[in-house]
Amino acid sequence: MEDCSDGHLVEQAKQGDVEAFAELARRCQEKVYYTLLALTKNQQDASDLAQEAFMQAFKSLKSFKQRSSFYTWIYRIAVNLTLNFLKRRKREEGREVLNESHSVNKESEDPSFSPDERSLKKELSEKLQEAIDSLPLPYRASFTLVVFQGMTHGQAARILGCSENTVSWRMHKARKMLQARLKPYLGGG
Amino acid sequence: MNCTKIEKWLSDRIDGELSERKTRAIEAHLEKCASCRSYAASLEKIHDEATSLERVEVSPAFWEGFASRLKANLESSREERREKRALVLSWNWVWSGAALLAVVAVGLYLLLFQSPQPQEMYVFSLENSLASIYQEIGDDSELEELFNSILVESIDEYLEDSEWKERPDFLENLLLWEGLTEEEIEFLESEIKKDIKS
Repeated sequence: MEDCSDGHLVEQAKQGDVEAFAELARRCQEKVYYTLLALTKNQQDASDLAQEAFMQAFKSLKSFKQRSSFYTWIYRIAVNLTLNFLKRRKREEGREVLNESHSVNKESEDPSFSPDERSLKKELSEKLQEAIDSLPLPYRASFTLVVFQGMTHGQAARILGCSENTVSWRMHKARKMLQARLKPYLGGG
Repeated sequence: MNCTKIEKWLSDRIDGELSERKTRAIEAHLEKCASCRSYAASLEKIHDEATSLERVEVSPAFWEGFASRLKANLESSREERREKRALVLSWNWVWSGAALLAVVAVGLYLLLFQSPQPQEMYVFSLENSLASIYQEIGDDSELEELFNSILVESIDEYLEDSEWKERPDFLENLLLWEGLTEEEIEFLESEIKKDIKS
């Protein structure tokens, strides 16, 4: 099963082969999960949404014509589900927005930095995380896919269902917003 | 060169999406513009910082749990699908059985209540059969009642022998037969033809 191509597994899964679909899911579950985690900031929500995305994909597998890769297709389902979930959550009044601090900076404990530098870097990374979290949803989604997942504008555009130009524009705007917010922490640069 | 345009291009450059021509134009601009140089440096810093934000690593046990939960959900979804399919097939049988009985009822009616006509070559058509029933019934409510009772009895008899124990809703509203679309009639016709063949 592990040696099979995605295309072959998709065909098998279309016939109702659960093992084949589980293998497809296994191949991209980490990337999907971490993207959803970056968007939701909550491990339970990310896990539930990833499960829901895989289930939706399984149920509508017959409509998947393999014009894109399975990976792009499942990613698109997962991201759309999550964006809708976040929009709903935002609308819900009185619900506390979960904001787990799930990121720490690798360099924060780096011995090559002096205590003052470490403290400054830690502060910058915390402020950066806050600033990213406060970006409007479409900007945050583009930023997450391009910066955290290393996607090209084209790949992100296919997943978000918009044009490459839109992604490019959102990245520019997102960076402008981050830069404005982080100015006091960016030093002389 | 417009600084606003340069700022947009700087963002594209970080993402590796800028053409060589524009990259050269940016470099030439940065040599002359201190404000854009400063902006470019802060974007680079933000990008480096963002890519160094460490993600939470989840344990292998998490992935095992994730996979087994997904598998259980997939299995139960497959079961649900099978049950639904079986249900749809049962309904198809009820529909085609009912339609077949309707045609039998029509045959009985024509046999019992019609005067002998010169024999024509019989071409099976449910649509025509239903049309001739309604034509024959016309405004005669007694005849309509008779037809309906034959139809309902036949269907009930069929249901008693089949696994389907509940009376279908459409029996409560026999006018539903009149509302059948051409596609539905075609479907019933093809089902009946299959039954006749077998």
